[in-house]
Amino acid sequence: MSTPPATAAGTAGTAEPGGRYLLDRKGFLARVMLLPAVVYIVALVAVPFFLAIAYSLSDVTVGDPSFDFVGLRNFATVVGDPTFRRALLNTVLITVVAMALVVVLAKVLALVLVQDFRGKWVVRLLVLLPWTTPTSLATIAWVWLLDSLFSPIDWVLRQLGLLEGNLYWLGNEGLAMTSVIAVQTWRIVPLAAVIIMAGLSAIPSDINDAAKVDGAGFWRTLFEITIPMTLPVIAVATLFGAIVVFTDMAVVFVLTRGGPVDATQVLSSWAFFRGIQGGDLAQGAAIALFLFPVLLVFAVLILRSAKRMEVM
Amino acid sequence: MEPSGQPGMTRRRFVQLASGLIVATACGGTGTEPGEPGGDAAPAPSSSIVPPSGQLSGDLRILQWSHFVPRHDQWFDDFATAWGEEVGVNVSVDHIDLAELGTRLSAEIAAGEGHDLVELLSPPSAFEPSVLDLTDLNEEVRGRFGQQTELCTRSSFNPTTGKFYGFCHGWVPDPGDYRRSMWEQIGLPDGPSTYQELLEGGTRIREEQGVHMGIGMSNEIDSNMAARAMIWSFGGSVQDADENVVLNSPETVEAVDYMARLFQATMTPEVFAWNAASNNQGLIAGEFSYILNSISAYRTAQQANPDVADDVFFTPALRGPGGTGLASQHVIPIYVVPTHAQNPDAAQEFILNLVANYSAATYNTELYTFPAFRDTVPDLDDWLTRDPFGSVPEDKLALLTDAESWSTTVGHPGPANAAIGEVFNTFVLPQMMARAARGETSPQEAVVAADAEVRRIFARWRERGLVGGQG
Repeated sequence: MSTPPATAAGTAGTAEPGGRYLLDRKGFLARVMLLPAVVYIVALVAVPFFLAIAYSLSDVTVGDPSFDFVGLRNFATVVGDPTFRRALLNTVLITVVAMALVVVLAKVLALVLVQDFRGKWVVRLLVLLPWTTPTSLATIAWVWLLDSLFSPIDWVLRQLGLLEGNLYWLGNEGLAMTSVIAVQTWRIVPLAAVIIMAGLSAIPSDINDAAKVDGAGFWRTLFEITIPMTLPVIAVATLFGAIVVFTDMAVVFVLTRGGPVDATQVLSSWAFFRGIQGGDLAQGAAIALFLFPVLLVFAVLILRSAKRMEVM
Repeated sequence: MEPSGQPGMTRRRFVQLASGLIVATACGGTGTEPGEPGGDAAPAPSSSIVPPSGQLSGDLRILQWSHFVPRHDQWFDDFATAWGEEVGVNVSVDHIDLAELGTRLSAEIAAGEGHDLVELLSPPSAFEPSVLDLTDLNEEVRGRFGQQTELCTRSSFNPTTGKFYGFCHGWVPDPGDYRRSMWEQIGLPDGPSTYQELLEGGTRIREEQGVHMGIGMSNEIDSNMAARAMIWSFGGSVQDADENVVLNSPETVEAVDYMARLFQATMTPEVFAWNAASNNQGLIAGEFSYILNSISAYRTAQQANPDVADDVFFTPALRGPGGTGLASQHVIPIYVVPTHAQNPDAAQEFILNLVANYSAATYNTELYTFPAFRDTVPDLDDWLTRDPFGSVPEDKLALLTDAESWSTTVGHPGPANAAIGEVFNTFVLPQMMARAARGETSPQEAVVAADAEVRRIFARWRERGLVGGQG
């Protein structure tokens, strides 16, 4: 039995089922397709964000969710707290230094990984492992590596005759901060390298060929072709990594718990200690909201970089 | 013994020590099961069910920590299930890491649903507005089983509101652990009994034997306990009995000054990176002459390094210059029944049954947890003087028979109120000690800064009506 050919959707007077009619409307279909993402963003981003704003203007505690408006008092208290100021400074410092290292190391790594060599895929897999390992688990491994008594790093240095005794990585202020930056760099470099690799692959081969024909060496090609052409991609990788580092709590919480004293405290860890463990949810929310302006700037910069890439 | 971190450490020694570290860390901050009781040891007490006062039904969802002794959780889960079957309640028990208990309860309160019965390991005073008043239950249990240990009452009752926000069924002592062979060499085979002896003896052991001691000054629980014990024993405290802040006192300054001197003479910067497993790791590896901890570190050593365990002995709270010697309870298990609980009657009947079977509970923690109602465990002193879990000598734990006399709550001499909880969980006291020990500030300046922070915290909780006092 043959079926009649389908008529144009929505032609007047036809008896098309309602569902079919709706799905043929581009505007409706677009909204349906976007709905899951919108629900996700509203439920997991917008609601917690506005809840945090509400909490920060209240006297909510972990044991008493009832809302009493207190204005900006929590923000005033938080700003006057020396631990908060230290945490803010540390957050910025760790992010800036880690991202500077990430840009250099990821670029080098990407240049190596785009070359053809035996076992390239295995190497790529191993390089990606730090990114794919859950942050808390990876940081526990670092806790062991940097242990005060049993650090294998110390042991190697002792065997090489470079060290007597122990360095006490996490008990010394400068070394603890260095350790936090090192771990953040270690876990972000693979992702940044993969993003930059994608940018390198997108450079038309004829441009590099032309440069070779013109006698350009490695450094000249790097600084006059490769870097300029991958700059938007590097910017995206950097900004994305910066957001991850800026908002991260796990590395500091597991590695140093903000210590020694408050030497490595960051905004997210201090918000957790004050808000959840200390019970003062309102102040915890106020501390966490200080992340927002910086993240907003990062987000705008990422979108602008992305747009620039589209133009390219 | 070879000191830690010396250039001469052999590869074999390093591997041995690292293995000890792995075992200790795997056991978390509190230890692991040392093994089965000895052949002629006292048998494990049996459990029995107390008939409920009324008809029970429905589900009972319990949330508590994964105990460091696996034997305890096995016993507890079987006991809870058997109790449920007997009284017609479907019981389920969820065990999570102790560090997540407060976070989980916060989330459940915010959601308005969750478990019927939640056990926390520090005084849950901040949760008071969202949990049921358990005054009736506390009175009922007192009527049946006698007086409750005072530190337990002060950790579950708010004198300002007159409410029992929790039910404390046990507590854990926090003695000093010392290596007898090391202290014997300096003429103190029974270990230090005062803080002065700790300083002098620890200094000599470090100089003559190359072994340091480990008392944390970090953002974690053991450092919190150590700082409090020291301040109390020197005559200071965070608050007075009426919940007024009194931290800034000559006694506290003296305690902070002492800690700075103790650090300089006997410790290394590792104490600023202390975590809940550091005690266990160092003790098992034989790297410390003295630590402050529950018996968990020792129980861990019994399994991981029996030679070291045999050399570990205990001291009660050390006495300060005025002769006072006090230690904080280590952890303190307290049940709360959230207002969102669906089966509060079953929850309270279950607690009552647990207390009635506390001999079995204590035994299955391998004497880690002591009863809040001493009469419920009549064999406790016998077990401590003849440890069923393989101590050599068998009376090694005997000094814990009077642990109650030198132990107190974190709020000493007042209650463990919500402000004390925030001071505890934001590590104000260990940081005060660390600042002075690291030379960042003078002891006086460190105390002044900590006092200001404590006053700010107290003021906020007073506004909420949960803390008494005025200053």
